[in-house]
Amino acid sequence: MSSALVAASLSFLSACEGQISDAANPRNPGPGGTNNPPPGVEQPARSVRVARLTHAQWVSSVKDLLKLDAAPTALAQTFRADPSQSGFLFDNDARALSVDEALWGAYQRAAADLAGQVATDATKLGKLLPPGSTTDEARAKAFVESFGLRALRRPLTADEVEAYLALYRKGPQAYPTMAAFQGGLRMVLEGFLQSPLFLYRVERSTQAADGKVPLDAFEVASRLSYALWNSMPDDALFAAAREGLLTKREGVAAEARRMMADPRARDVVNAYHQAVFDVPRYASIRPNATRFPNVTAKLSESAAKENTLFVQDVVFGRKGRFADLLTSRDTFVNDELARIYGLTGTFTSAFVPVTLDGAQRRGVLTQVGFLASHATSVDPDPIHRGVFLSEHLLCQKIGAPPANIPALPAPNGRTNREVVSSHTEAPGTVCASCHATLINPLGFPFENFDAVGGYRTTDNGHPVDAASAPGIGGQQVPVKDALDLADALANAQAVHECYARHWVEFLSGRPAAQEDDALVARLGKLSQSGQLPIVDLVVEVVTGVGFVNRHPEELP
Amino acid sequence: MKLSRRRVLQGLGGVMLGLPVLEGLLPRKAQAAEPGELPFAIFLRQADGVAAAQNTSELGSEPERFWPEPLGNLTTTTLAGKSLVELADHRARLLVVRNVNMKDYNYGDGHARGALQCLTARGPAVEGAGGDSEASGESLDHRIGRELNPQKRDSLYLYAGQAGGWLGGPCISHRGSASRRAALHDPWVAYQTMVGGPGGLTPEAREQLLVRQKSLNDLVSGQLKALQSRPELSSTDRQRLDLHLSNVRDLEVALSCRARADEELRLQQQAPGYNSTDGDEVLATVRLHMDIAVLAVACGTTRSVAIQVGNGNDSATRYRDPTTGQLMENFHYISHRRTSHDSSGGVIAGSDVLHSRVDAQFAQTFNYLLDRLAAYALPNGKKLVDQGVSVWFNDLGNGPAHSAHNIPFILAGSCNGYLKQGVAVTVASGSGNPNLNKMLNTIGAAVGLKNAAGGPLDDFGDPSLPKGLLTELLA
Repeated sequence: MSSALVAASLSFLSACEGQISDAANPRNPGPGGTNNPPPGVEQPARSVRVARLTHAQWVSSVKDLLKLDAAPTALAQTFRADPSQSGFLFDNDARALSVDEALWGAYQRAAADLAGQVATDATKLGKLLPPGSTTDEARAKAFVESFGLRALRRPLTADEVEAYLALYRKGPQAYPTMAAFQGGLRMVLEGFLQSPLFLYRVERSTQAADGKVPLDAFEVASRLSYALWNSMPDDALFAAAREGLLTKREGVAAEARRMMADPRARDVVNAYHQAVFDVPRYASIRPNATRFPNVTAKLSESAAKENTLFVQDVVFGRKGRFADLLTSRDTFVNDELARIYGLTGTFTSAFVPVTLDGAQRRGVLTQVGFLASHATSVDPDPIHRGVFLSEHLLCQKIGAPPANIPALPAPNGRTNREVVSSHTEAPGTVCASCHATLINPLGFPFENFDAVGGYRTTDNGHPVDAASAPGIGGQQVPVKDALDLADALANAQAVHECYARHWVEFLSGRPAAQEDDALVARLGKLSQSGQLPIVDLVVEVVTGVGFVNRHPEELP
Repeated sequence: MKLSRRRVLQGLGGVMLGLPVLEGLLPRKAQAAEPGELPFAIFLRQADGVAAAQNTSELGSEPERFWPEPLGNLTTTTLAGKSLVELADHRARLLVVRNVNMKDYNYGDGHARGALQCLTARGPAVEGAGGDSEASGESLDHRIGRELNPQKRDSLYLYAGQAGGWLGGPCISHRGSASRRAALHDPWVAYQTMVGGPGGLTPEAREQLLVRQKSLNDLVSGQLKALQSRPELSSTDRQRLDLHLSNVRDLEVALSCRARADEELRLQQQAPGYNSTDGDEVLATVRLHMDIAVLAVACGTTRSVAIQVGNGNDSATRYRDPTTGQLMENFHYISHRRTSHDSSGGVIAGSDVLHSRVDAQFAQTFNYLLDRLAAYALPNGKKLVDQGVSVWFNDLGNGPAHSAHNIPFILAGSCNGYLKQGVAVTVASGSGNPNLNKMLNTIGAAVGLKNAAGGPLDDFGDPSLPKGLLTELLA
């Protein structure tokens, strides 16, 4: 081994394990190490003050704001995708959401299109016009005030009202072929839809108390609605804000529970789990047609649908806990999935509820999507199965592998596990430092599942060995197979903490920070002990001190 | 920019061109100097290295299928049997550069090291982050736009291939450290961004749009400035608002350049294949992007365009083998010579040949760009292609080894005589010594970027690297 390789190996060792963090902005970001919270005290973390709407949030907000029958999804498809941000799991890291020339142009075009649709349609416009005013100017003012509150998600100042009325008065010049009132409102609509106060969620509160900055009621309403619905507040939430109900934890909790019972929360819960379970990766499932001749090109689509139905059923249908996602055998299958799961009976392309064989399956990690998306085209891939578990379920980062990795040797009569072990776990090698202790022990328990997720007891003519002793929560836990592993994960507080940490990141639109540790620990403990259904876990996050307050310092 | 009538008729209005311009919507405002004075750069990035001569554990000795042999003046003989032969018609304006080397920064992944360094000449923002890496500095395409574009408009950053994937998909263009740019994916959206408005406007409708937008811009600018004035904002909040405000501007420059209505329709109708994994559709999208790029540089709305094909390791695109008509395995598999994204899959027989066939398709696509640019005749008798430089480059040297050395850089166009033409050269930097920053300095200087002292750009990228240009490339 060359000295350069030795150096690289040492560096690799140090990078092998760590808690998941934000690569560009590591945790503990306090300038000079100041203002780190005392252990065990729940605190708000630093966050941005102007968070641009994600594209999904823009679609939902526009639909709700304009009271449209259908979401303006096609318009949002003209928005360029936001860039990824240092591997952040979700699409809502506010630091990566900017308005460049391309997006600004698309916003402008969309605003013009939508304003035209609404202002030239009496029915659509009628839904937005408040009743009661007599003159056009008075009606316009009432419109600006009522529509403006919903667009900016707070009451407008007098100056703001006047600025939009000035825009209204330009209607006849801007749209000379339209009636003055409609033309003026068209300009006002365009102005609101292009406004940075609509496009960004702005938090203006600055008054600190007890080391944190309480958000005002309308800011809390916005945080709640975008966290739980990915959209603007509804009338009831605005009313709660206006009546001061959101300044108390009970009031926030009541609204949060109401919102979680609304169908809009289902999309948000699904989006979260799609990211955590890496469902987009299912699209890469492409097994070798010779080895798996019965598998169709629709397998990835079917697996993704199974995941969605399963998650929705556990979270909302059964009011389940995170442990249920890891251990439940009740899922949904169509004919192709039924074949892979070895189910008997008649199945069609329609999904139906089933209970899988308890001797073979337990939870989301034994479902086709995870297994087949972490496989080569012919063999299971214990390495990437292990890396996924480490990073997504244990929040344990695995260092990137060194370049120029030699190829796996030919099986020569050995099992897949033996090939991987011999190649990656030779004592003293750079590979072994991560593979032998961290990666492979989390991946080998799934050796009972082939490259499409079918159950197997032999591999290359030998009995499958799925026993392992992965590190979970700082302890080596012996497991005899994937079923054992699912139980071990479901019983580990570290796994529940990781799940809660992801929720904090997702609902806050930022990477987890040290200030979140106390909340994460509390939720992890409650979840592990079986006292916290997923819906309640979400409510706990959005009623927490960190959610309804700002950190006294800004995110650098 | 003021395009002469002759230029428009010879180039933009020519039958051979993809994007002629309606006479009624000809560029009118002078935003740049006359043709011949404003060089540009169009970058085309291919992933996964090229089928250069190498020894692999999978296939053994793989012969040279990419680089001309011997180097020196480019002739049909030196290009014969190589992927570059697809560019033979343009050989007189090619500059083939060997021995461009990246620095082996600790990105923790060869593709991250290549894709994030290729236009930045910078190391990672955080070491060893692998697929979660970000570059630690600005990319050259953005720098050109920021300093040389009219109204400091963003340069065009275009992407073809399936969204997402390794390194998140678009990953070669950066505003600064850990600040990745969003790419334009749909050619129709890219076109609308370039021209700054909806298609099919009459001159009267355009004037009305400008008037309306002026009122709206006043409101938006006022609100953005009021937000910016709030003392509690952090620096990153301000940066985002600054970027937004910088784009709230008069549309007149952008609206001065349009394609003909039937060409706009073509863009609109053909664009939906942009999110494909089918190599034919991906490369068709690249050609649409190139049409937009050519119109943009011809009109002077940008001096820089970067086109990225495929994600960080182009692991989704399946190019077609022209000899069988079948789609190959995805390009990353081909480049690895194995049916896996790592070294665990089975060996793909003949994958070195397949790799060269992918290279050839990129060469054909680059040739399309050069044809388009060459079809624009300038008033001084020269062609648009020679006014700037088109750069087809890779971010790895070869396949399985993920080499940071001998990164292919194929330049076309002299930038008004600044660069050599018609030759393949080996730049001297010592074998393996990093000199990518000098390559980028040379391109930047050719386009007109300056260093702080007002001289040709010579200090782009990592400040710890030796400064300078690759003088072997200068005419």
